[in-house]
Amino acid sequence: MRIPYSYLDRQFADSQMYLEDIRKIVEKGDFTLGAAVSEFERRFAALCDLPYAVGVASGTDALMLALKSRDIGPGDEVITTPNTFVATVGAIAMTGARPVFVDNNEEYTIDVSLIEKSITPRTRAIMPVHLTGTPAHMPDIMEIAERHGLMVVEDAAQAIHASIGGRHVGSWGDAAGFSLHPLKNLNIWGDGGVIVTRSAELYERLRLLRNHGLVNRDEVAIWGYNSRFDSLQAAVANRLMDQVHAITDKRIANAGLFDEAFRELAEFITLPPRPPNVRQVFHTYIIQAQNRDGLLAHLLGRGVEAKVHYPIPLHLQKAAKPLGYRKGDFPVCERHCETILTLPVHQHLEREEIAYIIDCVRDFYLKPVRE
Amino acid sequence: MIITGERRPPTVPYVDLALQHAQIKDELLEAIARVLDHGRFILGDEVSEFERRFAEFCGVTYAVGVNSGTDALILALKVIGVGEGDEVITTPNAFISCASSIALLGATPVFVDVRDDYNIDPGLIQKAITRRTRAILVVHLTGRPADMDSILYIARSHDIEVIEDCAQGVGAEYRNRRVGAWGAVGCFSLHPLKTLSACGDGGIVTTDDKDVFERLGVLRNIGLRHRDECIRWATNTRLDTMQAACLLVKLRYLNQWTEKRRANAAYYQSRLSGIPQVKVPADRSYERAVYHTFIIQAEDRAGLQAYLSTRGVETAVHYPVPIHLQPVAFPLGYRRGSFPVAESQADHILSLPVFPELDPGQLEYVADCIRDFYQKKGA
Repeated sequence: MRIPYSYLDRQFADSQMYLEDIRKIVEKGDFTLGAAVSEFERRFAALCDLPYAVGVASGTDALMLALKSRDIGPGDEVITTPNTFVATVGAIAMTGARPVFVDNNEEYTIDVSLIEKSITPRTRAIMPVHLTGTPAHMPDIMEIAERHGLMVVEDAAQAIHASIGGRHVGSWGDAAGFSLHPLKNLNIWGDGGVIVTRSAELYERLRLLRNHGLVNRDEVAIWGYNSRFDSLQAAVANRLMDQVHAITDKRIANAGLFDEAFRELAEFITLPPRPPNVRQVFHTYIIQAQNRDGLLAHLLGRGVEAKVHYPIPLHLQKAAKPLGYRKGDFPVCERHCETILTLPVHQHLEREEIAYIIDCVRDFYLKPVRE
Repeated sequence: MIITGERRPPTVPYVDLALQHAQIKDELLEAIARVLDHGRFILGDEVSEFERRFAEFCGVTYAVGVNSGTDALILALKVIGVGEGDEVITTPNAFISCASSIALLGATPVFVDVRDDYNIDPGLIQKAITRRTRAILVVHLTGRPADMDSILYIARSHDIEVIEDCAQGVGAEYRNRRVGAWGAVGCFSLHPLKTLSACGDGGIVTTDDKDVFERLGVLRNIGLRHRDECIRWATNTRLDTMQAACLLVKLRYLNQWTEKRRANAAYYQSRLSGIPQVKVPADRSYERAVYHTFIIQAEDRAGLQAYLSTRGVETAVHYPVPIHLQPVAFPLGYRRGSFPVAESQADHILSLPVFPELDPGQLEYVADCIRDFYQKKGA
């Protein structure tokens, strides 16, 4: 059996309705901030129970513009975790601010107990990452942020539709950035992102920042970027908005099957805690595995495309050199890097494919003969 | 019965993308469907194919597709090292992004006035150069190449870089070499209203320098050299594979469309040059202008524009407020009078419809309307 990580071919096997929507836009030429974009923004805001959403060119831009909406820039510091995708830190660094790392917990999100030690007079914002689709501990983070007067921008790139106590991610902080990249839970056919906020003031700033600072066709109020969500991509996103609940439910169900099976392999596999009252949306399903590299090779050999998200923590990337961190600074994150393994968990997996993946893992640890 | 005061739809729109797409709609949709079939939406084969062909088109070695023309400028400035505290010389009569790309990097845009052809006046550059000047951002406005020989001479004498803003100039030539091939880096917009346009936002950067090319590849892709190795913090500004697929289709028509624009411009030139109240752009022997816009300078511009509008001719002004007089530029310390040529042009310029799909009847009608306006005024 071959189980590739990507599922785009299955997801879009029947492409008729998408292509039909695209044809209509091509015929009209309504490409820039067209009707499809406003429709998507309205629906996405509603999904998060928020008044405002702003479509932008990528998840990275979503985070960068959210920080810029409060003028975070050179001389400022923004706190985040080192076990995230490079774009989180790219977004912070693009504003000119300095990224400051805080170790993560066993759930792969920021360790709240370590945040306050990292706050300096230059700290302007906290950017918690809802990695794997697991919400960070937002109530605690908001409490710290309020005490210190900090902005909170949620990196919700992997967490569309996740929630804590029924309250959506994206609705906790001052603003949140989502990615709509082709492998995200709500995925378009290219790059795209969306920012949500409940603040009318930030919303107005964000609309200027993504469109050259233009108040109207001819008047420029602030130096702005061109970071608009394409109408063509919005058409695809609108179709997928209808499917968000089904996608989330299927991923949660798939993760449940893995969890159940792997509890019997507790000697070899550590699962992150599954906090109660939280909806994890499983953008990725990440276990901590004994002999990770052996298991990875075994799975690949059996046709299961497992991956590692991410093998090099950000504080040890070449790009981080000027920040002055070194190995040992973030022990939990570094330990995870050695053991984490990502299994396919997407909504198009068949029951027997999940069973096959579980069998492969079980075989690796329990069968006496190993290759 | 016709209700009085009801506005008829324009007889001659300023631009009509639907007309362009009517000819090539099927090809575009097939190209999009092919991308869906292979599913490599991020930096797929169509992107590298388009980059290769676009580089060839411009006569350069390398091209890097990005998310927009503005991002092309930001990356170009970044790749030559422009940052906090630097100054970059440019013109105040262009689209805002040539100044904002400089400002967003923490550098200061320093404006220099333009000549009659709307491009930077090389005679004024020297005075604007300081110890902090890192580059000249040359705009080929309206699709007419700037005076590259003079500009490059000044830049070389002061050891500063030249970046070309070719957003409106794809295919334009100066001494038989295309724009985008003169400076260290060339920046193009592929916005839907550009001569070569994507079906959404897009941009592309050209260069002959291998090192610059490789660094641009990292800068547009969140600093990644390989899947897991991040060598510098950077943003995500990739040209979508789907857009590259559409651009490959349109690139095949570009020369044809450009020749049509040039023919439309030539018609206007011959018809309007006899009207004393109108100044028409002139072609020079050593250049090929591509007429992204056809801009006249008109006496009583507001009157002419209003009159044309009542006759069903849609026009535009590119741009009514020069950048140095925008609210955003207030901290730069310029004022009315700082750039007399650009300011005077802003009060008189009018962009006439010049898009390739205009038919001869429409062109004639526009020219007739302009003639009628001044005849009535004179009467």
